[in-house]
Amino acid sequence: MVRSTYDEMYDAQGGCRAHYQAFARWLAATPSELVEQRRREADLLFHRAGITFTLYGDKQGTERLIPFDTIPRSIPASEWQQVERGCIQRVRALNMFLADLYHDQRIVKAGIIPAEQVLANEGYQLAMQGLDLPHDLYAHIAGVDLVRDGDGTYYVLEDNLRTPSGVSYMLENRKMMMRLFPELFAGQRIAPINHYPSLLLDTLKSASLVDNPSVVVLTPGRYNSAYFEHAFLAREMGVELVEGADLFVRDDRVYMRTTAGPQPVDVIYRRIDDAFLDPLAFNPDSMLGVPGLLSAYRSGKVILANAIGTGVADDKSVYPYVPEMIRFYLDEEPILANVPTWQCRKPAELSHVLANLEHLVVKETQGSGGYGMLVGPAASKAEIEAFRARLKANPAAYIAQPTLSLSTCPTFVESGIAPRHIDLRPFVLSGQQVRLVPGGLTRVALREGSLVVNSSQGGGTKDTWVVEDSTVASESREV
Amino acid sequence: MLSRTAADLYWMSRYLERAENMARMLDVSHSLSLMPQGGRGDGLEELAMPLLITGTLDAYLERHRELDAERILHFFALDADNPASLYSCLRAARTNAHAVRGRITADIWENINATWLEMRHIAEQAPANFSASNFCEWVKERSHLFRGATEGTIMRGNAYRFIRLGTFIERADNTLRLLDTRNQLMGDAPPCESTARDYYQWSALLRALSAYEAHAALYRGSPKVSQVAELLLLRAEVPRSLRTCIATLSQILAEIPGTNGRPAQRMAAELEARLRFTGVEEVLEEGLQAWIHDYILLVRQLANAIHSAYLEAV
Amino acid sequence: MRLAIHHDTTYRYAERVRASIQYLRLTPQNSARQRVLDWQLDLPESARAQRDGHGNILHVLTLDEPHQAIVIGAHGQVEIDESCESESDPVSPLPYLRCTGLTTADAALREFAAQVCGARRDRAALIELMAALHRRMPFSPGVTEVETTAAEAFALGLGVCQDHTHVFLACARSLGIPARYVSGYLCTAGSPQLASHAWAEVWIDGAWYSFDVTNQLTRPERHIKLAVGLDYLDACPVRGMRRGGQEQMHAQVQSAPLLQNQLPSQEQ
Repeated sequence: MVRSTYDEMYDAQGGCRAHYQAFARWLAATPSELVEQRRREADLLFHRAGITFTLYGDKQGTERLIPFDTIPRSIPASEWQQVERGCIQRVRALNMFLADLYHDQRIVKAGIIPAEQVLANEGYQLAMQGLDLPHDLYAHIAGVDLVRDGDGTYYVLEDNLRTPSGVSYMLENRKMMMRLFPELFAGQRIAPINHYPSLLLDTLKSASLVDNPSVVVLTPGRYNSAYFEHAFLAREMGVELVEGADLFVRDDRVYMRTTAGPQPVDVIYRRIDDAFLDPLAFNPDSMLGVPGLLSAYRSGKVILANAIGTGVADDKSVYPYVPEMIRFYLDEEPILANVPTWQCRKPAELSHVLANLEHLVVKETQGSGGYGMLVGPAASKAEIEAFRARLKANPAAYIAQPTLSLSTCPTFVESGIAPRHIDLRPFVLSGQQVRLVPGGLTRVALREGSLVVNSSQGGGTKDTWVVEDSTVASESREV
Repeated sequence: MLSRTAADLYWMSRYLERAENMARMLDVSHSLSLMPQGGRGDGLEELAMPLLITGTLDAYLERHRELDAERILHFFALDADNPASLYSCLRAARTNAHAVRGRITADIWENINATWLEMRHIAEQAPANFSASNFCEWVKERSHLFRGATEGTIMRGNAYRFIRLGTFIERADNTLRLLDTRNQLMGDAPPCESTARDYYQWSALLRALSAYEAHAALYRGSPKVSQVAELLLLRAEVPRSLRTCIATLSQILAEIPGTNGRPAQRMAAELEARLRFTGVEEVLEEGLQAWIHDYILLVRQLANAIHSAYLEAV
Repeated sequence: MRLAIHHDTTYRYAERVRASIQYLRLTPQNSARQRVLDWQLDLPESARAQRDGHGNILHVLTLDEPHQAIVIGAHGQVEIDESCESESDPVSPLPYLRCTGLTTADAALREFAAQVCGARRDRAALIELMAALHRRMPFSPGVTEVETTAAEAFALGLGVCQDHTHVFLACARSLGIPARYVSGYLCTAGSPQLASHAWAEVWIDGAWYSFDVTNQLTRPERHIKLAVGLDYLDACPVRGMRRGGQEQMHAQVQSAPLLQNQLPSQEQ
């Protein structure tokens, strides 16, 4: 891989890329005080609307604002089509993998994935074995994390098949940009995304075999870091936002408690992890879930989106096999590349990793949110040695990847406008068809040189534009 | 509507109403304690009243050992560890409101949130800039604002109904308790002093319940126990009277769709009919204290019926 | 040997329970070792049977009316083939390599297992492990709780059948051997008592072998198997939640039935 950095806006010669030219002209023509004033306005509006998150481990439960950057990340439509096709292909294969894994296990029998790798995996749920789901769908909502290396190639960094979050920021960022800078949207054709909640509702309804099913969003409650998003999506879809205590199971059916008595529930868009769904089947101390939910689910009387047990497919130790899954199930070549990955559970690969820690990124197979990982080039000697000890103690819990440079995008920082590293999370909805709204959530690492974009670690977000090429072409002719 | 949502709305307004009534009660006790007291002059008996009404005397004594005007005031106004304090009521109301932010209008939410933020500020500034009567006045004002925002902005649906149920259940209970304690306190007074003391005591209670003007208009002359009891228990014209509260509750309950609330609806309608066809002489004949105690129990039963019909599990 | 079971359990609650829900794993299944001649559950409400993820028969009992006690009766007859040493299974044993909160091996457990077994992974090694474990952890009721983990019990050096089984599972899995928790009944010879019991099954050479650490048995001739799982929580006979007078739900993993009525079982 090339160790130079790809910039979304400027090419290697410093010229502005075609799909950014309209924006660049606008930026040059707009007084910087005005842009600055609008940025402050955005902060105020986000605060007032309560678009906040809470940090894990923050006992005060302080609500924080995710920094919003007003310079959009822009993708030409032709390039987006490739990304979109790649995401659809990948999520289709992952859903087929889950259906296969919980039924015939053909991929294991074919020797493509070692049985122990998946069956002894903590994400593998015995409760799902042999259970038939409508349309064989497991991950109805998936988030695919993409980064670009030095030459601009898109790589899939990880798949999120459990309860991917962030889509509310994608939608709110667009709303904010349209409110602050309507002239930008008048001047070029930017693909709309605000129909996402209706696509989501459509996806959730189609997950059930019942006519006009009743849908709810299940949240762990308002102390959860993503509560804003749960409330936002429920409101946008026009469905109830429920907590575990609002639901109960009777005769294999799930009901919610309302002022007009019990009302049946057919589809639960759950934003609670597997382990907390049913205290009678999983973690007994969990007060977040619904006792008896698993038995109702196994009787087919309620749909969970996503299904239980999807975690086995987005586990980082299973990630290296995704390209093989695409070939095996779809008989296609992967459109989106995987980042080369060393599996530390294999002794030969472990020793390579141990010898090259200062160049590699090492991640926990089960981790998320940028915790428990080592970014070799950015780590101190002591940090590397501490990590080496952890790695040696339990190699199977880690994978390692080369340090990707991650593309940059111009971003407002204290000193003005400077390039900062970004990633992209498109949200893939699997129902009758597999669909995405154009773009996704762009996260930006606000610290100079940082490659960690997670909001819990000081990341911000940007609006993501898919700009139609026809406009790009006509705009560039004018230039 | 989810039962949990209804419960949050109901408790949000109950806590605000409780705060308002507590402020009214504190205000009266505070001003009466400054009056010459029959023979003792320390006004402690008066100040201890809120402790008796809210059943927090033991909790107070455990913490502060002796009755002290300033400490009692602090205990009720600002003490975060006293669940009956105004501070705690406003905090609880804000917590409930936060949980149902999507169900109330921005005007209502901002009112409650701003009230809580100001409450915290007041608590931080105290005791330097603390004036008991200003503070009580402020709480009443915030409660008026909440009611105004509710009346003026929220859709007439279930959310509105459950907010009002909370208000009127709490108010019915508070009116009964205020009258009860004042009545008991009067009963102890030596007969020779009773006239002047009666006057101050009853008019203070009437002022606390904003019913002084109503009394003047309906009865003229200085208040007597029979008049005060009739006014606060049985008169439909007085907005804080027991009868008004029960009639309003009955009317709201009748509007809630569904059949699961029948026991509560029936109970409220029966109570309303009983109050409508009761004369104050019957109340006094039974004994005012016994009568009030019966009704405190009945109101609690009605609250339980509302709770099990709408606000909790099947 | 034919065993007749008659087992009634009464759960009483100090306060009236408004509603409750229970997962019951109280139905034995036919296998190479045991044949169920007849079996019946007496429940306060009818409950539909389904299979759980481990293949156990699960009844879900929901009670919506307020109650202060639940009576659960199980009776029937089961024929045991005492000569049967192991049971094959078409389902992969690999999921039983996983640790759970109750069966995670800490350094002390891993070291203990490695010391006893060395490089050996055969049945003889595991029988030695069972004996060593029993010496290290004598049976002693009342010291541990249902929530006690394998590591905690091992550190205490005491425990009951549940703890013995958890520790044994943690050791076996740390050696890379699939192992699972079994809950069932034990009919002690010469004693009229019928007891709920737990033991382990370990996957060796393509079949499940039994290890009753508490009784130092490798051939469970008086054991009736009810359910299997990764640990106690997966396989326990009764797991329930109730709603009390308040909104709170109380977890009530069959920890302390306040009144347990055990009738003698008969050997025939």
